[in-house]
Amino acid sequence: MSDSTLVTTDDVDKALVFKPKDARPAPPSTVGVIGWMRNNLFSNVSNTLLTIVGAYIVYTFFSAVLNWAVFNAVWEAESRRECLDLVGRSGACWPGVAAWMENLIYGLYPKHQVWRINLGFLALIAWVIPLWLPRVKSKVAIGISAVLIYPFLASYFFMGGNKGLVWTLLIALGVTGFAWVWLTTLTEMRYGLPFTRFMAGMLGASGKPQEVQVKYGRFSMLFVFVIALVLVTQWELQEVQTRQWGGLFLTLVISGIGITFSLPAGIVLALGRRSNMPLIRILSTTFIELFRSVPLITILFMFNTMLPLFLPVGVEVNQLLRAIVAVCLFAAAYMAEVIRGGLQAIPKGQYEAADAMGLGYWQSTTLIIMPQALKIMIPTIVGNFIGLFKDTTLVSIIGLFDLLSMSRAVGEDSRWLGLFIEPFFFVTMIYFVFCFLMSQYSINLERKLAAGNQR
Amino acid sequence: MNTNVLPREQTKSKTSSRPVIELVGMSKWFGSFQVLKDIDLQVYEGERIVVCGPSGSGKSTMIRCINQLEVHQEGDVIINGEAFGNDVAKNDHIRREIGMVFQQFNLFPHLSVLENLTLAPIWVKEMPKHEAESLAMSLLERVRIPEQALKYPLQLSGGQQQRVAIARALCMNPQIMLFDEPTSALDPEMINEVLDVMIELADSGMTMIVVTHEMNFARRVADRVIFMDQGEIVEVAPPGPFFDNPRYDRTRLFLSQILHH
Repeated sequence: MSDSTLVTTDDVDKALVFKPKDARPAPPSTVGVIGWMRNNLFSNVSNTLLTIVGAYIVYTFFSAVLNWAVFNAVWEAESRRECLDLVGRSGACWPGVAAWMENLIYGLYPKHQVWRINLGFLALIAWVIPLWLPRVKSKVAIGISAVLIYPFLASYFFMGGNKGLVWTLLIALGVTGFAWVWLTTLTEMRYGLPFTRFMAGMLGASGKPQEVQVKYGRFSMLFVFVIALVLVTQWELQEVQTRQWGGLFLTLVISGIGITFSLPAGIVLALGRRSNMPLIRILSTTFIELFRSVPLITILFMFNTMLPLFLPVGVEVNQLLRAIVAVCLFAAAYMAEVIRGGLQAIPKGQYEAADAMGLGYWQSTTLIIMPQALKIMIPTIVGNFIGLFKDTTLVSIIGLFDLLSMSRAVGEDSRWLGLFIEPFFFVTMIYFVFCFLMSQYSINLERKLAAGNQR
Repeated sequence: MNTNVLPREQTKSKTSSRPVIELVGMSKWFGSFQVLKDIDLQVYEGERIVVCGPSGSGKSTMIRCINQLEVHQEGDVIINGEAFGNDVAKNDHIRREIGMVFQQFNLFPHLSVLENLTLAPIWVKEMPKHEAESLAMSLLERVRIPEQALKYPLQLSGGQQQRVAIARALCMNPQIMLFDEPTSALDPEMINEVLDVMIELADSGMTMIVVTHEMNFARRVADRVIFMDQGEIVEVAPPGPFFDNPRYDRTRLFLSQILHH
């Protein structure tokens, strides 16, 4: 005990004083990049060998892919024949993909109307941007409005046609919603007040009681709605049939709706399955088990070919709508089981504590149980989203031209006859980018949520 | 067995005549196994009851029946003259008078300490947020951890978490507090900080039922000590007679086993 941590004092009767040692930094060979490589890649002979062999395999694979896709590839040609004459099969023939690019992304949507799709997706992005802006407080309301109101705006953008009274009102509602999102975002960032409160102040109700302020705020929103209504009646878009929709656009529409619908529907079904009320429990369980035990392809076929048989003559449900409903119900059943898994992981004590404090069923579910259940299930929920996004390729089987079936069409074009690998490669990359972004976002979210809750 | 009927004068409470908690012939079964057998108990306002007994004796189940976390099958649980029944809304209303502290704390890990405290006042009592927060802060001061208000439960030590749990129960301003082995999950160094808070609470006149094996706490705080075994109340006595001169052989055996290591 040379560097003793115990210091004796003169008085024998006094207790010894304990002084903890100072912490020293970890040995340099165990930290940093070098330390990591030494520990993980070259810790012993067999590991070193494995590292070298692995690196060689990775190198050969990627160099072959890069040679084909980039270095040996043809970038300008008029037809597949020209590509083959230039490099044979050793390089990719990208001009075919480029020529079909518009179709791969927008399907058979009329070329001069494509701006509507772009605008629709830009509107969605603009709608949700405030969710990531600082000092915006109404994030929940903005999120809900994006799910409930944006679809009206988007569906008219995409479909167009004669509006009629109901659609005119719904579109005006959509425009109002969008205006509200950004007005609120701006006033909250600038003045710390939501738009309606801000307007109440501007209109001179700042000193008056809450109800009067709310009235003034509502009035200002009504004013925005009237302006929107006037604008909407002035403006009409050419109709585009849904059978002209296709490519990445169609994939995003189907999977977007499926993903947005599956989460709330899954939550309701999962709660239903755990309910104490026998009727609700049996109905939920039956629905979940029925849709989970049938392949998605079968459900799509059923909805596509059998549903019209049960409907009265003359009633026709849009084919795309049938596919979307099928995908939604299927996804909801799967999501319900994921959520149920999350609910089961919540300790019984959480329910008891909520009960003991006098919280009712819906209060304890929405405030205590569901936030925790969703948080632990984020990886699985996003995993389901990714699965659903890829499963939408199955709609090609009922004659919808999603991204994958569009890419198959390239090789059937007489100029690019037999050009299958390149479009598939391109489509693979698109799917990869979307799925990778989703999974990265989920990891990000997990980290953010975990930060506050762990030591 | 009328050991559990104790003359009024022997309890510390002098103010009230009506019991705040009455258990009348309460029985409960888990499946076909009877965990509680005809429990009769009256607790008066301001009384501090300590319940002890071997594991599986039904002491936790008994206090969980008092706020109906477990539903009894026979007999009555009467709080302030109102019996728990089939009316869910009424049950919830009766329950608001009863705060509960659990062995495993059961704090809500996704909410900060302050949010844990303000949740029930805001959502159940519809108290304005700022009012709930100032109430919460005053209670955190009472349990001596106001500086932890913005942390999350898992960032606190066990003793701190249990004190937050006590403050959370007090936030609803209950008339009765139930403690289900509040110190059993704690490290030895942290037991006293929780017991100190409970002693302070007892001194303030709160009606308390505490399931615990902290016999020094029982001796110091309890008005009556209850010993349970096999679903029955075996013996009820003030702490002095209970510890120095227990009447039943089963109580003597239990005390000799937990007091002499």
